[in-house]
Amino acid sequence: MGEQISRLMDGELEGTEADAAFRELKQPDGVATWVCYHVIGDSLRRSGAPAPGFSERFAARLAAEPTILAPVPRQAHRLPFVWAAAATVAAVTVVGWVAVSSLDSQSTAVARAREAAVALAPQAKKPPVSPDYLIAHQEYSPTTQIQGVGPYLRAVSAGGTDGRP
Amino acid sequence: MTPGGLTDGARRRLARAAVLGLAALVLAPAAFAEDAAAWLANAAAAARQQNYVGTVVYQHGGYIETSRLTHLNDLGEEFEKLVNLEGPAREVIRSQGEVRCYYPDAKVVRIEPRTFRNAFPSLSPQQQRALAEFYEFRKAETGRVAGLETQAWVFQPRDGLRYGHKFWADPATGLLLKARILDERGEVIEQFSFTEITIGAKITRDMVKPTWPLAPPDWHIRRPGHGDVDMKETGWTVNRVPPGFVKIVEGFRRLRGDREVAHLVYSDGLVAVSVFVEPVGRTPHPVGLSTQGGINVYIRQLDESLVTVLGEAPAVTVRQIANSVARR
Repeated sequence: MGEQISRLMDGELEGTEADAAFRELKQPDGVATWVCYHVIGDSLRRSGAPAPGFSERFAARLAAEPTILAPVPRQAHRLPFVWAAAATVAAVTVVGWVAVSSLDSQSTAVARAREAAVALAPQAKKPPVSPDYLIAHQEYSPTTQIQGVGPYLRAVSAGGTDGRP
Repeated sequence: MTPGGLTDGARRRLARAAVLGLAALVLAPAAFAEDAAAWLANAAAAARQQNYVGTVVYQHGGYIETSRLTHLNDLGEEFEKLVNLEGPAREVIRSQGEVRCYYPDAKVVRIEPRTFRNAFPSLSPQQQRALAEFYEFRKAETGRVAGLETQAWVFQPRDGLRYGHKFWADPATGLLLKARILDERGEVIEQFSFTEITIGAKITRDMVKPTWPLAPPDWHIRRPGHGDVDMKETGWTVNRVPPGFVKIVEGFRRLRGDREVAHLVYSDGLVAVSVFVEPVGRTPHPVGLSTQGGINVYIRQLDESLVTVLGEAPAVTVRQIANSVARR
């Protein structure tokens, strides 16, 4: 199952194979695998999590997209397939991010993906880093000395690693 | 292709090219080392000697902070005031061998003695060689920053163990008006930039005074410890130092409630990576990687010691250093 979903993500599936993969994506395990692979891909690319509210905005924009009814002579019979694919992707995307944010404890695949993400992507929040260390470090940092200002900004930055005193 | 298949003339041309290439390899880094080191020394001197006041924007990830910076060099003595303009107020005052950080919402002031070392006039020959070997230093475009015409300069890393750096300097004084750290894909991961600045401004001592009394009566005063490293062998070492990094400091310092912390610093001439080792007992501490803009921090627990490695280097570099920290 994983292989088919992986190939689908790479755009290698068409026709009945794609349909089969889409059927799998309707199952919870399929969705979890899809999400898992995307989180892994994002981690490897270091692209990070989407901005908050991404899925809502995406769904709203997709809904607002005009439906294009221009005829496509040769591939006319494939139009429904393309639309089905787009709709499935949209639905899975929405479901997927909901799954990532709310269901990870229920799905081992998503949990594994999260582990992968944690292992590969720098963590924004933890572990806490003492500003003592940042301030002590900057004294010896050559780049810091040509800026004069950077180190203190980093060390006391309220939104930074640890803006607390 | 085998040398046997070449005519004598071709072989000589090859040999000459090889010699020329070798000469270029040997000579160019030497010239470069002087250029890059001289340029850095000049920028560092400008940051210390010029009087300036301006607004600086600090960005990393999706995070942006705007601050007001005032710098005064009064007969060789440096004063600096940095106040953030958004969010909970933070004020940093640097004067007379001290850094004071005011956190008015928490009613806390941190006071740290500091003897601002000046690294650049004294980059060691080893550091200069590392600069030449591991970065390509070049003049880039000119462009406006904070309304001033500036000259951009680039330090392009030659391996994946360091970030790229781009600096925009005021040609008249050498003062940096904008600095960027770029990852291996050329994407900006951290940036400092003046949005407006007056260089050579008339700055008085009043303008660099803290907003609050030196130590407000009902505030909590934290003195994390003695500022300087007590230079000596710490009993700790890094077994696999990434290429180009040279140990420039080793000793103990007092941080965090007067606990003695081993501090080792490794530098490639442009950036530094600090290794802190402090005794924490058997209690497990949070470990792993965290990132703030161009700084990566990797924490691991080694028996009863907590090893914290941080610096303006990619995660892979910081992690390699952290994972090879060992008792000497």
